[in-house]
Amino acid sequence: MDIKCTGKLTFKGGVHPPGYKELSEHSRIKSVPAPKQLSIMLSQHIGAICKPLVMKKNYVTLGQVIGSADAFVSAPIHSPVNGTVKNIALSSHPVLGRAESIIIETGEDNQVKEPSADKFNENFDPGKYTPEQIFEAVRNAGIVGMGGAGFPTSVKLKANPDSPIRAVIINGCECEPFITCDYRIMLEWTNQIIAGALLAAKALNCENIYIGIEDNKQKAVTAFRQAVEKMPAASEIEVVAVKTKYPQGGERQLIKSILGKDVPAGGIPPMIGVLVNNVATAAAIADAVVFGSPLTHRPVTVSGSGVKNPGNFYAPIGMTAGDLIELAGGLTDDAVKVILGGPMMGFAVADLSTPMTKTGGAITVLTAKEIGSIRMRSKETPCIRCGRCIEACSMNINPTKIAHAVKHNLLDIAEQYHMSVCIECGCCSYVCPADIDVAGLIKTGKILAARAKKLMPK
Amino acid sequence: MLENIKVSHSPHIKKHHSTQSVMLDVIIGLVPAMVAAVIFFRLKAVAVLGSCIVSCIVFEAMCNIILRKPNSLGDLSAVVTAIILAFSLPPTMPVWACVIGSGFAIIIGKMVFGGLGSNIFNPAMAGRCFLTACFGTMMTTWTVPATIHPQMPQVGQVQTSDPVATTQATPLALSKEAIKSRAAGNGTKAETVNSVFNYMFVGQTGGCLGETSALALIIGGFYMLIRGTINYIIPIAVLLSAFIFASIGWLIDPQYYIAPWVHLVGGGLLIGAFFIATDPVTAPLTKRGMWIFGIGLGGLTMLIRIVGEYPEGVMFAVLLMNAVTPLIDRFTKLTPTGGRVNA
Repeated sequence: MDIKCTGKLTFKGGVHPPGYKELSEHSRIKSVPAPKQLSIMLSQHIGAICKPLVMKKNYVTLGQVIGSADAFVSAPIHSPVNGTVKNIALSSHPVLGRAESIIIETGEDNQVKEPSADKFNENFDPGKYTPEQIFEAVRNAGIVGMGGAGFPTSVKLKANPDSPIRAVIINGCECEPFITCDYRIMLEWTNQIIAGALLAAKALNCENIYIGIEDNKQKAVTAFRQAVEKMPAASEIEVVAVKTKYPQGGERQLIKSILGKDVPAGGIPPMIGVLVNNVATAAAIADAVVFGSPLTHRPVTVSGSGVKNPGNFYAPIGMTAGDLIELAGGLTDDAVKVILGGPMMGFAVADLSTPMTKTGGAITVLTAKEIGSIRMRSKETPCIRCGRCIEACSMNINPTKIAHAVKHNLLDIAEQYHMSVCIECGCCSYVCPADIDVAGLIKTGKILAARAKKLMPK
Repeated sequence: MLENIKVSHSPHIKKHHSTQSVMLDVIIGLVPAMVAAVIFFRLKAVAVLGSCIVSCIVFEAMCNIILRKPNSLGDLSAVVTAIILAFSLPPTMPVWACVIGSGFAIIIGKMVFGGLGSNIFNPAMAGRCFLTACFGTMMTTWTVPATIHPQMPQVGQVQTSDPVATTQATPLALSKEAIKSRAAGNGTKAETVNSVFNYMFVGQTGGCLGETSALALIIGGFYMLIRGTINYIIPIAVLLSAFIFASIGWLIDPQYYIAPWVHLVGGGLLIGAFFIATDPVTAPLTKRGMWIFGIGLGGLTMLIRIVGEYPEGVMFAVLLMNAVTPLIDRFTKLTPTGGRVNA
């Protein structure tokens, strides 16, 4: 077996923000009791929005389907607790503003759900399951890409004879600063993740499996190498250490680093025969296929100097940001920004009642010190055309040109400079000495362009 | 507590630098050459530098008030322009001429275009160009450095008739003479210039204020490269192409064309390569564009030095390449990773 020990594998562009991982990397994943009330969003994924299957005052149990849609690209949602449906109403959503959700009041008979990682050992055999079984289990469990995109995983696991998948990559990069939940599950749920990887590969009849981990997480690399050696079914898995660089965890970037291939612009990885799944998604796949348990809980990191006791939690989906922050000891007095996600791509919220979704792996609370005096002042100066954004751009486009075109409402010029290729990683804003909100302008431009083409409501 | 919470676009953290800190790095990179200028030209250097810096700051502040723009002195770009302009002037430049040059550089060179980031031409070079056009004699009068090496051979005839200072021709002026005398077959030979390479490297020769000391400029240039203030491409492209073009002349007739390494340390080529051509505002954005820009700049400089009428060509080469920068940008559009999309 050819194991690449170097962390030299990389892609062009990217930045090196400080990691801040030390705040929470030693905190074990803690199961937490469900709060009194949960808000389960009906739209937690890309694709058709779920329709509620329960009504006000209905009694629901842990794992019961409470919303689903008939469309192929969709994922059902499940109740994470035993309890009563209190209401079906709007709650605040980090991206959509307000969106419909099912509000459940936790019953007294509810029990704390523990992760199932201990039940996986080195004797796991994916041969027991057929690809159809795996697909059905993943679809019924409502699993979506848990790294942030939220694309329904079952769609990715449906084998397509026209474009066979030749490589499955499990993404353990976690390149965002502060976030450590993937790192913790890689250490604590190692066998479960490998099982999930094997099942995903089995569903697609694919034999090449890579687990890509940034080389600043040496412990995780070692843990996987040892686990892979012990597990007979996993002998083909290659554990790859890749260079620590943001956005190494972007799927295009990871594919470039590991396989040296470019995903066509405007295309998706299956077009070149590659499937990328996050480690948390892999763990959820194993959980769903082996135990039939739906995706109702997920690992979450609550970190940053703005919370008193940063840590990692195994929390029910639908918990509000405020509840999770309370678990981490609450906000400090100097907290200035609450971010759902990491500081590079996360969404800042002003409403702590915003619920976490299946894709939300972290809450980062920043203080003025971490944001930095320049960003705090948020005072743009003119672009000096230094080209740092171009150098940092992992997609090799011209961020400053696009941003300025958008600023002056010249969307056709923005499109000429390949605005749609942008993955919104935020490297350009991060390196801009003039503190221009380059990434923000490009995102605005993409929304304006989608509205102009009537792909998006106003 | 919640009233302190802010919201904004991601990313929420930022690399700790600003336009101001980038410009400050350029100023620090210029310090060695500034020290060399003061050592070699004493009070004359202080007068030129001081008048340029003060007048550039005053002109920029005035423009901001008249144009009702926010105060932009904080970005320090006016100081960088002032120092580079002062470095490209002869030490004997009177203060009033420095003020006029600074005025042109800041007002016409930068502010009328919309201030920092919008100017087409390098402001310092625009100012110098204006002074060359207006006061040709002043701009070609070179004093002998104060700390001339006792063993330095006389480069050109030292003229003591000038009451202000002893003057002499610059090595590049002599190089031009040598090229001109090639047709006649007598007169100055390239050897005269080649022999003073050591003095040119340290800076003990006549020339513009900040251009004489190659050593100080290289130190400053390396500082900026290490700090990541400038990209390595433009300096390398400029020096490499200048070296190659100078070699062509030298290989044709080494008796009358000076050696390429002498060309590199002579005149404004080093300050041009490290400090002027790398001005991000007036240089192309992409790497391919930077190579084209640098090669063009080095080539044009050598074309002017060897074939043209002027002994020095960096200023014109910079301005010409600045003019074609938008064109270079247009022809070096980037192809995104994974190919183009049909928008």
